[in-house]
Amino acid sequence: MIGDYKGFVKNRVVVALLQAYHDILDYDGMKSILREAEMMYLKDIRDKNPNDSINFFSFKKIISAQNCLLYDSSILLFEIGKKFSFYLFPFGISFEEIIDKINSLIITDWKVEIIENNTNEITVQVDRCIFCSEIGVPCDLFEGFLVHSLQKSLPSEHLVIYEMNKQDINDPNHNNFVVKLKIKRNFK
Amino acid sequence: MVEGDKRKWAIKLTVLGDAAVGKTSLIDKYITDSFKENYSPTLGVNIVTKDIRIQEDNSEIRLLLWDIAGQDKYELTRQMFFQGCAGTLLVYDMTRYSTFERVTSKWLEDFKKYSRPDGVYLLIGNKSDLIDSVKVSSEEGNSLAKKINAVEFIETSAKHGENVEKAFRTLVSHVLKKSGVKIDLE
Repeated sequence: MIGDYKGFVKNRVVVALLQAYHDILDYDGMKSILREAEMMYLKDIRDKNPNDSINFFSFKKIISAQNCLLYDSSILLFEIGKKFSFYLFPFGISFEEIIDKINSLIITDWKVEIIENNTNEITVQVDRCIFCSEIGVPCDLFEGFLVHSLQKSLPSEHLVIYEMNKQDINDPNHNNFVVKLKIKRNFK
Repeated sequence: MVEGDKRKWAIKLTVLGDAAVGKTSLIDKYITDSFKENYSPTLGVNIVTKDIRIQEDNSEIRLLLWDIAGQDKYELTRQMFFQGCAGTLLVYDMTRYSTFERVTSKWLEDFKKYSRPDGVYLLIGNKSDLIDSVKVSSEEGNSLAKKINAVEFIETSAKHGENVEKAFRTLVSHVLKKSGVKIDLE
């Protein structure tokens, strides 16, 4: 890992991410990622104070290990992103609050912002996304996170469809992107 | 991919087969040259990496080895594990005939359904060290490999390490060959 990784990440973020790995990849899958990151000691982090923090460099090591092991596994990453949202914000808070909170729970050089908010469409801009900063890595995890975060704040007959311009994942700036979340009513 | 003058590849491979045929043991032997006597089932998927450097070609291959749990309870999530998989070892236990039958009725079918259409597969009869308990003959293994168009059939012993390295290297060679890369690892 090359670069400047300053900042802090709340323990509850790490717990939610590990729980998401556990749900989708089960215990050995979660351990595989921590082992690759050389952060096995974090597997018991749920016993610690959720409001304490780990440094951003340690968190980034987990994300890099995840992106290495789950190379070319966009479906899994998208599902992990959905679960990550579920465990990080399990109770009914609005999408706008989720976006505010994610910025304050992961404090580093990145930004997630709602730039347009209409009845049936919300546009989110992500600058320097930390989940896909490596060259060659698409951002399926954070897309899954955004889709599920909006989906769960809507009544059940609404469905979220997302649109994103095709990224050139070999461009070093590909982790700056805009996601359009369209809300469709599902008539039965 | 190319980085400087060096050629680099990441190849995702899976090891498939019924529970307790020795998938984890094969990977452990290949990666760490170790063998555990006590059986402990894989929970979900265990993913390990191995880098292979090829001096004469100035290339580096990173293998992503997915050891996928064989239990039925993982049926739903298992489908997602196959995405992007370029090749697999289809493993049966030479001492349990049912595991041999399930290679075609279950594992090959799943691999073809959920992996890349050009995915390569090798047939592996594991536990060749248990000579007195063998229920599947080498002829049956060979014949099945031909019938299902496996690129090769190899009998292995994860316990003694017999043919383990050969099995993985053969698989990687065939995956590279299928992608138009000529590197002989066998």
